[in-house]
Amino acid sequence: MKKIIGSALAGTLGLSIAFGISAGPVEDQIAFQKYYENRFPDTPTEDFANGVYSILPTAREQWEAIEEFPPYELAIEAGEEFYNKTFANGKSLADCFGADGAVRNQYPKWDSERGMVVTMELAINECLTANGEKPLKYKKGKITEVTAYMAFNSRGQKVDVKIPSDDPRALAAYEDGKEHFYTKRGQLNFACADCHLLTAGNLYRADTTSPGFGHGTHWPVFRSKWQSMGTLHRRFGGCHKNIRANPYKAQGEEYRNLEYFVTYMSNGLEFNGPGARK
Amino acid sequence: MKYKLKMLTLGLALTSPVAFAGNGTTAEHIEAATAAYKQVAKDTSYQWTTTVKTIKAAKKALETGDDKAARKLAHQALDLVEATRLQAKIEGETWQMRVPK
Repeated sequence: MKKIIGSALAGTLGLSIAFGISAGPVEDQIAFQKYYENRFPDTPTEDFANGVYSILPTAREQWEAIEEFPPYELAIEAGEEFYNKTFANGKSLADCFGADGAVRNQYPKWDSERGMVVTMELAINECLTANGEKPLKYKKGKITEVTAYMAFNSRGQKVDVKIPSDDPRALAAYEDGKEHFYTKRGQLNFACADCHLLTAGNLYRADTTSPGFGHGTHWPVFRSKWQSMGTLHRRFGGCHKNIRANPYKAQGEEYRNLEYFVTYMSNGLEFNGPGARK
Repeated sequence: MKYKLKMLTLGLALTSPVAFAGNGTTAEHIEAATAAYKQVAKDTSYQWTTTVKTIKAAKKALETGDDKAARKLAHQALDLVEATRLQAKIEGETWQMRVPK
């Protein structure tokens, strides 16, 4: 009897996966990563953490040259100073995140008490405000310095985003981020998946689109186009503007859920931020 | 598909109350476009930057006294709003097709 039930469950699961009826996060992640591994067979799986440079040898040479004197170095130094700066109440960020802030692999995470996704940037601001300090702006500036320092100290940690199975709200947040990734928006009618999955590696004007596998690993980045550091949510907003869609608020629910999905898809890769990108 | 989309968008735009009737002042047409833009954002969370720009351009044209251009832009903005709504509807039904299996 047990065997029959087991076979029936396995069959149902198999059907669900094949037709995409109710594929869960694990099945999604396997199919997602497999897609890129098949599409870019010359790229070692762990190298997807390097974004477009994992699939574009010529650009990779330039990027490696840039990495010899990385443009984010000053941000790390400034971030360290801010990280260790004593608040008016005598505490510091180290009281929230430990001596070196190497907690990148803990974010984004599901907060079951509040029923929401918490990103590292949000956690930093919550630490600041809880200690009577002013919160930082979410897209650029000081927040990128602090996260650059924390990401640098976290290099080598594995991406390990968890979706607790005992809280359906976590799955709903994941599904929301997933829908966002695959849904076309803006007047140009593009989904994140159009550029970073279906046509990843293709040229859009003079730029090659990066694989979505690895998108959550290397933030914050110094982007040559910006000539400054920026957060993942700044980039989300920029992408949306490019396709003529109004961007959502940085650290709003839409982008936090999108980050939850995108980073979960990169589970198993190493965090290697801060990064340098075109 | 593109042709169908265009025709449907055109159809929706032409049947919108203000555009169809052609009544009201240009300022009212711009107001209608602004209200429609806000409503679609509320209903679907979809917003296009071009719609905002077109509404702004309509307001500016009206300010400079170019009533004809302002009215045309207001109607363009309404078209964009309807296309946004249509996109949200189509995507709500089809986005799962892009998920790798």
